[in-house]
Amino acid sequence: MRYRSQWVAYSYFTVALLLYGLQMVFGLLSAAKYLGPDPLLNVLAFDVTKEVHTNLLIVWVLTGFMGATYYVVPEESRTEIYSVKLAYWQLGIWTVNGVVAVVGYLFGWTEGNKLLEQPVPVKLTIVVCMLLFLYNIFMTIRKSGRWTTTEGVLLAGLALAAILYLPALLQFHNYTVSIFYRWWTVHLWVEGVWEMVQAGLLAYLLIRLSGADREMMEKWLYVIVGLVFIAGILGTAHHYYWVGVPKYWLPIGGAFSALEPLALFGMAIYAYTAMRRSGFSHPNKLAMHWAVGSAVFTAFGAGLLGLAHTWPSVNKWTHGTLITAMHGHAAFFGAYVMIVLAMISYALPHFTGRGENDTESSLGYWAFWLQIGGMFGMTLSFATAGIAQVYLERIMGVGYLDTQLKLQVHFLMLIGAATIFTIGVAAFIWDFFRVKPVVWTTPDVAEQTPVTV
Amino acid sequence: MLTKRQTRLFFVGGTLLFAAIFIGLTIDSHRQFATLTNADQITPAVSAGKDVWHAGNCINCHTLMGEGAYYAPDLTKITQQRGTPYLTAFLKNPSQFYSEKKHRRLMPNPKLNDEEIAQVIAFLDWVSKIDNQGWPPRPILVSGNTFPGAGAVSGALETVVLSSEPSVRGQALFRSTPPGCSSCHSVVANVNLAGPSLAGVGARAAALIASGQYTGTATTPEKYLLESILMPSTHLVAGAMYSAGGRSFMPDNYRETLDPAQVANLVAYLMTLK
Repeated sequence: MRYRSQWVAYSYFTVALLLYGLQMVFGLLSAAKYLGPDPLLNVLAFDVTKEVHTNLLIVWVLTGFMGATYYVVPEESRTEIYSVKLAYWQLGIWTVNGVVAVVGYLFGWTEGNKLLEQPVPVKLTIVVCMLLFLYNIFMTIRKSGRWTTTEGVLLAGLALAAILYLPALLQFHNYTVSIFYRWWTVHLWVEGVWEMVQAGLLAYLLIRLSGADREMMEKWLYVIVGLVFIAGILGTAHHYYWVGVPKYWLPIGGAFSALEPLALFGMAIYAYTAMRRSGFSHPNKLAMHWAVGSAVFTAFGAGLLGLAHTWPSVNKWTHGTLITAMHGHAAFFGAYVMIVLAMISYALPHFTGRGENDTESSLGYWAFWLQIGGMFGMTLSFATAGIAQVYLERIMGVGYLDTQLKLQVHFLMLIGAATIFTIGVAAFIWDFFRVKPVVWTTPDVAEQTPVTV
Repeated sequence: MLTKRQTRLFFVGGTLLFAAIFIGLTIDSHRQFATLTNADQITPAVSAGKDVWHAGNCINCHTLMGEGAYYAPDLTKITQQRGTPYLTAFLKNPSQFYSEKKHRRLMPNPKLNDEEIAQVIAFLDWVSKIDNQGWPPRPILVSGNTFPGAGAVSGALETVVLSSEPSVRGQALFRSTPPGCSSCHSVVANVNLAGPSLAGVGARAAALIASGQYTGTATTPEKYLLESILMPSTHLVAGAMYSAGGRSFMPDNYRETLDPAQVANLVAYLMTLK
């Protein structure tokens, strides 16, 4: 860490991790409701716990992205952030807005549109926050007159994320048309521009951690994000199955979804090769675990498990079952949770002044493996439950409610794995807060100066 | 080996090209939305029903066209499986229809007024008619275990039935959708779905007519079954989950949707259940 204003990131990471912890509470509640019966049925029903669970995920991951950007940009552009005060204001508004939204959900203040449940005032505040953020970052880069490919990709991803949020503000008379544009936000976020953010952060971390050649890494970064978009844009079609849109989206969805794992496997190979070729020139091996782990888990959760049910003739049977929950959990965790936790693990020693060696971070390793193991278990629980559901309900014709009763054992397994996962999250949060941050005094001379730009 | 400039070109060019194709297809889709979704049938009631659907946060438990949460049944074709009187009574008090003890899950009372209930049903009925490439490929039932071999089958009846025996044709019709008899009635004793179990209905019909509790006009079991299919409210089976205000929840339009030969086949099949 070489710039005083990078400290802003610490506050962003603090908010992100607190919301991450809260997300676990609502996740465990939702899982318990799958097992049933539900003593909170008339107080806090499943629709609310599930809505809060997914919304918290989106909010805290975006908070993490913004914090990570405030950390990366000064180093890449070699300057202080344009306005630290603005960055704190932005975080304040963002956090209050998020809390208002969650409390609103508890009282039924919702638009009831999956993943875009935020009421209009909340949505508009989100847009304002994103604009403040982009303005601050843009002015920072302008001030220095220097930018790198890595931060360019990162920022293009965040700017496009803001633009693609705009369709979420539109209201349509026709339910099918509103589904059509809902995916412009949701799909093009998570299988498009967010991947760009992930790839940008991954490139930054690999360059820092493995000492890989920047020119080489940035060249392949373009190839990876290029593949993400070539497959991902038309890959939106796999959300257009069976919702009342023209038939041609079926083969398009099948073909381009099959291409999507290509970019994701490319990213895993990219990370692994960087590590193999350049070794660990950096002592923070825990951050390396999270970074390479993110690329590998993305290839598994988003790539492989996505491919498992996107072919139209398969999706015809699996559509709208727990198979989707299987893919969703593994994909989000691998791609977005892990990359944010990688950035936090990388930056944390610089805030706290603690050592970066293995003995110092043993709790961090527990957090890593418990989360990986727990998420793998949850993915398997949803997968086994989903396969059983497809056979019993969709193929054999057993009623929905009676099928769910036969899945009890899988829900027990889900709760067990989710508990392990939550312990891992708690360990990560404890590890983050257990060492007090030190007040920044002098530039950290141990940090290598970036050579190439 | 590629240079950085070339890879940048690959990224920018590829993205622009595929974004352009995507936008072109979007424009074409807009040309077809009206036909595929019967946009002319989006009445004010359907629109208002969509608002009720959103305000109730229904999508965070149910799925519609397979989209939503996976905690409650898919409702894409629900209005083809359950009539308006049934859905109305259900939405007024779901706990009368399902038990949390049995299924470990229950829908909380959505607290809708009569107008909102009518609107959301109109919305769901509009959704059920959207041309969505024939999904689901076989009906998704809310409850019930249709084993063994009594599951609903969608598609043309002629392709499934080769026999000319009325009861065999009736059985095939019973399982097919529409009319979807089997999505509400099981033929297994004590398995009551949305409608009462029809196990042994042939034998029970004779006993019912003789019992003195019968309120209809039939004199033979066959005539009773015919009456139950065509005029389901003539004699009501006891229970708040089957009727309200003297009106059965069973659809009363089979006189229009089935021809007399089909009804006769159904009766022949039901008479075999003894």
